[in-house]
Amino acid sequence: MMHQPTLQRRLAILLLVSVPLIWLVSTGVAAYVAHHEVDELYDTQLTLFARQLLIVNMGEHGDDLPLLPKTKKLIRGGDRGEAEDDDIGLAVWNADGNLLLSDGKGRRFTFDASRRGFYSVRADDGKDEWRLFYLPAPDGTRLVAVGQRQKLRHEVVVKVIEGQLLPWLLGLPVLLLLILWAVRKGLRPLQQVAGELGQRSVLDSTPLSENVPGEVLPMVQALNALFARIAEAMEHERRFTADAAHELRTPLAALQVQAEVMALMPDEAGRQHALQQLQLGIQRATRLLAQLLALSRLDPLQGLLSPQPVDWQQISRDALSDVTTAAAAKDTVLETHWQTSTKAVLPLNGDATLLTLLLRNLLDNAVRYCPAGSRIELLLLADEVVVQDNGPGIEAQWLSRVQERFFRPPGQEMPGSGLGLSIVERIASLHGLQMQLSNRDEGGLRVSLQRAA
Amino acid sequence: MRILVVEDDPLIGDGLKMGLSQLGFVVDWFRQGREGLAALTAAPFDAVVLDLGLPGMDGMDILTAWRKAGQDVPVLVLTARDALDDRLKGLDAGADDYLVKPFALSEVAARLRALIRRRHGQTSNRLSHGRVSLDPVARTAWLGEVPLELTARELALLELLLSSKDRVLPRELIEEKLYGWGQELESNAVEVYVHHLRKKLGAAFIRTQRGVGYALGEPA
Repeated sequence: MMHQPTLQRRLAILLLVSVPLIWLVSTGVAAYVAHHEVDELYDTQLTLFARQLLIVNMGEHGDDLPLLPKTKKLIRGGDRGEAEDDDIGLAVWNADGNLLLSDGKGRRFTFDASRRGFYSVRADDGKDEWRLFYLPAPDGTRLVAVGQRQKLRHEVVVKVIEGQLLPWLLGLPVLLLLILWAVRKGLRPLQQVAGELGQRSVLDSTPLSENVPGEVLPMVQALNALFARIAEAMEHERRFTADAAHELRTPLAALQVQAEVMALMPDEAGRQHALQQLQLGIQRATRLLAQLLALSRLDPLQGLLSPQPVDWQQISRDALSDVTTAAAAKDTVLETHWQTSTKAVLPLNGDATLLTLLLRNLLDNAVRYCPAGSRIELLLLADEVVVQDNGPGIEAQWLSRVQERFFRPPGQEMPGSGLGLSIVERIASLHGLQMQLSNRDEGGLRVSLQRAA
Repeated sequence: MRILVVEDDPLIGDGLKMGLSQLGFVVDWFRQGREGLAALTAAPFDAVVLDLGLPGMDGMDILTAWRKAGQDVPVLVLTARDALDDRLKGLDAGADDYLVKPFALSEVAARLRALIRRRHGQTSNRLSHGRVSLDPVARTAWLGEVPLELTARELALLELLLSSKDRVLPRELIEEKLYGWGQELESNAVEVYVHHLRKKLGAAFIRTQRGVGYALGEPA
């Protein structure tokens, strides 16, 4: 559990990676946009400034340049704001390149009569980069250059970015904590469910509370459905075990009683009778055990292991050979009718051993419950396998119940486990077949196996 | 002592009938619930062995019906279900005792005798009248210290007389107690057994109430 990536950790990592990335990109975009805007603003100002300088008629001073002292001195104690004289400059030359007017760093601007428009220039000391705007007079008598340290513009952009970045950087941990808190709070119902499940007893089938967030509800509902199914399965098991115990006690009681009777009987005839009864009881217990084992092996099967094309000829021969002795002892006639070619009978992939067991159970039932001298028919048809007899049939009210485990219609002379038809039905359903029981109009029982619809 | 057995299982029913007969009981066995229900009133049974899982009519229903009809015959219930709940249900429905399958035949016999004895208010197992005593378990009777040579029917008659002191037993009742249904019965069988017992215990031991039946007479 500890090594599993938790939702919390995943979210934290996702946030820690994606948020800075998004900020980086958005900062880049912001820087670009800010740069552009600042350039536009300042370039416009420079252009305007240069035009104004051209308009002013300052004569031909040449040698007699008016020089202003620093602004600081001019306003002497007044508020200078954030202004910096050394960051800007202007120069006006006549056509010969004589400086007519300059201010700030303008004296250092280079005269070049061919220059027009904006230039980015590195200053002589190589440190500062300047943005210069050259504007010649229309008559060519003068050239104006105005300029500004690039640093000034960078500073504006940086300040704008910083102003944007700082709250984000400060907000990141807070955001992270908030998200983790929300996740933890959101996952609490899951932990509650886990806690409930952890303390749950195996036999507890009460549903979990469905008072959970929508995301968890499907899981809780699925779990509740599972609990219900498990409870049903366990109840089924419990009933089967109780029934099996009940059914095993009865033949054991019979053996015990008959063994005691045998010891009590004073005469040989009585002892012989008890011995016969004892043997009958042993046969019955053996048969019950075999049926119980068969059923317990069939029960957990989800499907057939390796289905093979079924050879009904072989299966019917094997099943019939197991009951011929019992049938002969009761003068019961066993008949097999192939109403189609042997290859064409109910084509099926399946397990021959199981199908033989199925058929033997049906034939055995017929022999067992039909009076002596009855006629039992095995019909092999293209879409159906039928075992029918001309015995007493099954009372209509019990027809639907005889497949129930351990159920036997009342008034049985013959001992039986009440499991035979359960086994038949289980094997049939494993093969996708459906067992149908009906009483024949002419008397007798008809058990049919058909492909389930 | 005549016992009604209601048990659907052929082997257990047959075993109970054969075994209990050997142990000195007269046994009638029915396999169907409804037959068993009706049989109780048809003969003077001393006790009933009732299986709970019966076809046709459940053993519990039969028991309830009997008790509702005022039948107080002791009933020993046989059940394959050993859950406490099932046993309690049986006792609540009016069973006097129960046995869980598989059981020993000797235990069925012992419990039946105990139930019958309790019903007659006897505390001792041994029945006696004067010097004559009878052990129902050992199926033996004594005159003083000397064991009596008695046939099973003679012993049964003696047991019947000893357990019904101060009562005149009608001849028909004696016949019904000594013979189950379907058992061959000669017309003067009771007189024959009375005669045999008188020969062995003295003529005055059994008193004849003319036109009614027989009762215990002078102690031997």
